[in-house]
Amino acid sequence: MCKDYVFIFLIALVFSTVNVTAQVTQNGWKEERQVYQKVFDAKLDIDEQRSATILQLAQTKPLIIAMVFTRCTGVCSPFLLQFKENLQMIEKKNFNVVVISFDTRDSLKDMAMLAQIFDLKTNPQWTFAVTDAIDSLSSSIGFDPVWDEKRQQFEHDAIAVGVNTEGIITKKLIGMRNSKDLELLIKSIEGAFSPSYRLPGKSNLFSCFNYNPQTGRNMPGLGLLFIAIPAVVTFLLVVVINLLTKNYRA
Amino acid sequence: METVKIKKITALWIVVVLLLFVVSIILGILMRLNQGEIIHHSPVTFYGNMTTHGLTMIGIWFVAGMAGVNYLMQRYVTVSLWPNMTGLIFTAIGVILLWVSTFIGDFHAGWTFLYPLPFKVMWASWATPMFLCSLTVMGVGWLIWSLGMVMQLLKRYSISQVFAWQHFGKNPKVETPPFVLISMITLVGVIASLLAAVVLLILYFMEFFSNSSFVNDALLMKNLTYFFGHTIANEMLYLGLAVLYELFSEVSGRPKWKTTWYIAVSWNLSLVFILTAFFHHLYMDFVQPEGLQIVGQLASYLASLPAAGVTVFSVIIAVYRTKIKWSLTNLLFFIGVAGWVVGGLGALIDATISNNFVLHNTLWVPAHFHTYNVMGNVLFSLAFFHWFAMQFANNNITERFAKTKLGLLILGGAGFLAVFYLGGAESIPRRYSNYPAEFPSAQVLAYVGAIFATVYLIAILFFFLNISKRCVKIMFSSSS
Repeated sequence: MCKDYVFIFLIALVFSTVNVTAQVTQNGWKEERQVYQKVFDAKLDIDEQRSATILQLAQTKPLIIAMVFTRCTGVCSPFLLQFKENLQMIEKKNFNVVVISFDTRDSLKDMAMLAQIFDLKTNPQWTFAVTDAIDSLSSSIGFDPVWDEKRQQFEHDAIAVGVNTEGIITKKLIGMRNSKDLELLIKSIEGAFSPSYRLPGKSNLFSCFNYNPQTGRNMPGLGLLFIAIPAVVTFLLVVVINLLTKNYRA
Repeated sequence: METVKIKKITALWIVVVLLLFVVSIILGILMRLNQGEIIHHSPVTFYGNMTTHGLTMIGIWFVAGMAGVNYLMQRYVTVSLWPNMTGLIFTAIGVILLWVSTFIGDFHAGWTFLYPLPFKVMWASWATPMFLCSLTVMGVGWLIWSLGMVMQLLKRYSISQVFAWQHFGKNPKVETPPFVLISMITLVGVIASLLAAVVLLILYFMEFFSNSSFVNDALLMKNLTYFFGHTIANEMLYLGLAVLYELFSEVSGRPKWKTTWYIAVSWNLSLVFILTAFFHHLYMDFVQPEGLQIVGQLASYLASLPAAGVTVFSVIIAVYRTKIKWSLTNLLFFIGVAGWVVGGLGALIDATISNNFVLHNTLWVPAHFHTYNVMGNVLFSLAFFHWFAMQFANNNITERFAKTKLGLLILGGAGFLAVFYLGGAESIPRRYSNYPAEFPSAQVLAYVGAIFATVYLIAILFFFLNISKRCVKIMFSSSS
């Protein structure tokens, strides 16, 4: 009998440990940072003649800001390509896309070339720009690329930021994301509420569910056990009190 | 000697509850007047009042039910004074801390204090820990009180007897009085809800003292909040029902109600359903699994059937074509049952998933929970208060103005609730301190609601003066 309890206890311990470990991830909170904050109103150079601030662009139509750099040998090109293809599948297009370089070496010419490569130079929905205030802009959207001297490349996330007509960041997408996620981003800049659930991080041990980005499924987490605790403890308390009061009844 | 002390402490409970009730009604009227643009409070004041009003109301009608059950329990078991006294002291400290945090510290996260609102500090920084401490103090006091009462019941009845399991079969050898069964079922639910509060508050304190290096899961916190909040709000109704089962037939001059197989089964089932019905508060939470949402809807439906169905059936049987002695006490019980049924139906409509998506953020929600409190649970406790005061009165003075009091109570209560329901049907949102122009009828309805609430308040003041006078005499009397 005792062995059974020890066995159950060990199983429960292993289950809990696995759960806790699964819930601790490095970057769980990144997408939530700066959401509902105002984006830095950086002045963007669009071509030799034209420049505008982010708020000026956002006032006419909400924006999706994508951060890239033209010398990127990593995620920038596949990110932009997939982003463009996903956007083509979306019917309602009452928003603009601004692709901004975060590499100070990039010139207007480099960005124009990038637009041409992706066949977006004449697309009125897309704007390619550079800015002198990249640090302030990056900081306001919670984007922090790290320069790798050895590779002469930035370590950075693929990031798309939704900004509504009032210049407020409504949602962020980090990584290569599918069209469904993009639709949520677009809904958010149009003012529709898109539900989100905070991903577990190092400091958050008791999630009810653990989201697996690879499968897109939620698995039950340790937090769910906490909901059952009060009922179980109550039952045990009643049993204990019953035992303690046995002599009085006799 | 212990009996005398319990009588005195019950009298003290009654005076305190009625006094706090009057203050809380005034806060409610101020909120409706502000929504009606008759007075102009800042949103901070409005939400501070809402926080105080909601939590004080839940607290006082819970302790009112507990005090009533504790007093009547003496008929069946030996009752100790100390759990009751602990409850009183802890409640007093808790209420003071709560009011200081809201009135002086400006804490205004709402009476459901949903996570992470208490940490979005828009008030004095000390107000959040003080608010959490107030809940802790009250919770600990009530937990000790509940456990004490369970212990007293189990000293006399075994587990199977106290839950009336022997009544499931034919010809039970031991009779479990309905009052004992309902009290036990309710106390178990109360303990579970208070333990949910313990887990919730521990998690709040962990985040608070870790300076956010530990953060909570919003879904877990919301589940725990409603495990505690919804369950205790329902259990306090059941405490009122326990008193009704004990007193209704007695004051009506009818034979005492007995536990039958269907009463035993229905109340045992109630315990299971009431502990799972709170999931209906999370229909809007998309990450909550669909299975739990369905459990929420089913449990909400099923919870109402045994307790409400059986009680309503019993009360109707007791009064239908029967010569009974009507008094203010059983009239309050009877009207209370009607109010409970109306509010319960409103709750069931809202607990239906498809309806909830339309009604959840409208005045329909305060409409239904005010119905089964204002015209349900409050009347159950008022009936007990009146009965208790009458027990020790030398004359019939407390029956004076009975029709006036009842008339004002029904007129004020029904009018106040009707405008809430109309607001819900008009999709007027709840929890707004001021209504925008998009809701043209909202201000008028709020104003009318405040007028009817004032009528209700006048009726309560009649009760307060009449009952309190008797209770103060009981508290200071030297004889038994």
